[in-house]
Amino acid sequence: MSARLGYTILYVADVEATVSFYEAAFGLRRKFIHESNLYAEMDTGQTTLSFAGEAMAEMNGLAIRPNRKSDLAAGFELALIFSDPNDAYRKAVAAGATPVKRPENKPWGQIVGYVRDLNGCLVEIASAMPDLPPARPHNQSTDE
Amino acid sequence: MTLSACYSELGLAADLSNEVEAVWTSVSDRAGSYRVLPDGRCDIIVRFDAGQKPVTDMTVVITGPITRFYDVAIEPGMGFVGVRIRPGCFEKVLGFEPAEMANSNLIGPDALAACPALKSLCMPAQDQAELVARVTDFVRQRVANSRFKLTPLGRSVISAFHASGGRLRISDVAGMHDVSERTVQRLVVKATGLAPKAFAAVLQFHRALRLLRDHRLSAADAALEAGFSDQAHMSRVFRRMGGFSPARLPAVTLVSLRD
Repeated sequence: MSARLGYTILYVADVEATVSFYEAAFGLRRKFIHESNLYAEMDTGQTTLSFAGEAMAEMNGLAIRPNRKSDLAAGFELALIFSDPNDAYRKAVAAGATPVKRPENKPWGQIVGYVRDLNGCLVEIASAMPDLPPARPHNQSTDE
Repeated sequence: MTLSACYSELGLAADLSNEVEAVWTSVSDRAGSYRVLPDGRCDIIVRFDAGQKPVTDMTVVITGPITRFYDVAIEPGMGFVGVRIRPGCFEKVLGFEPAEMANSNLIGPDALAACPALKSLCMPAQDQAELVARVTDFVRQRVANSRFKLTPLGRSVISAFHASGGRLRISDVAGMHDVSERTVQRLVVKATGLAPKAFAAVLQFHRALRLLRDHRLSAADAALEAGFSDQAHMSRVFRRMGGFSPARLPAVTLVSLRD
């Protein structure tokens, strides 16, 4: 048995408002919003980011702790990759994201900052992981 | 016990979805009684004689928010057309607060006295379909002409209670919205007619019922997931709110819930 990551779905109070926020704050684009306004997908490449209305959680028989801006952030984060994280951070905060930590250089060569979105969810604003040095081919012994 | 076999929820016009949770119809095929369970909702119901065409003899019933079950006597051929109003929209549709009729119903003349516009529902109708259209239209018009508006904060607070299946405490909901417990109290009473604790308990009861019936969880698993301290706690709540034990679920009609 093997699994692959299918979707990341955040339950939110207002799907439409969340989609608009992610467009304005992070420059993502909507793939679609269902006419019920209870489900939407963003155009995020291979890993789908979706938003579902809190009513969907109830309809699915789930109970959740809803994400709210004034509450303690839930224990997960979304990591979004930008070519210029410093600029992305400024734009996100200007669009209403709550600043948490300014982008800083990490020892492994990445630039990483944090904001919270309109629902209080943690969003990491980062540069891509730098390419690692190419791995040695297995058939070459190093202690020759 | 129930007329679930004849109960059906109808598809909705999209422009109604903000205030109306469901439009439903039901025609009883036998004498008996129908058990109404607390669900944190209020309904406007038109009761009529389904054997009569055109329909001339209607009774309007407004059901208030309840925290305990009650049984309604039914006769064969009794027809019902109802709209279930979403929490927070009662006042917008009916013009008065749901708290005024907590744990009670307004039937016939009492309903018309509380909301005179309901008289328009009692005009003779060709058939059940016309009644459905009329009830739907009534709500649409009332909503369009109402100045009452549920605030974004009120909507968010109600949604939080729902999303958590009634498991959040009032202090949690207050904290996560950065408002006082008194504010939460006021918003919930205004929207649902029930105190927050009672509203949350009704939601928790309903979810546990679904976990047992639809998810087919064991009583122990359902009690844990629904947030009861143990099975005995869940059983006490079931007896009080539903009049039955978790081990013997009757074939009750569970309405579809949305916040």
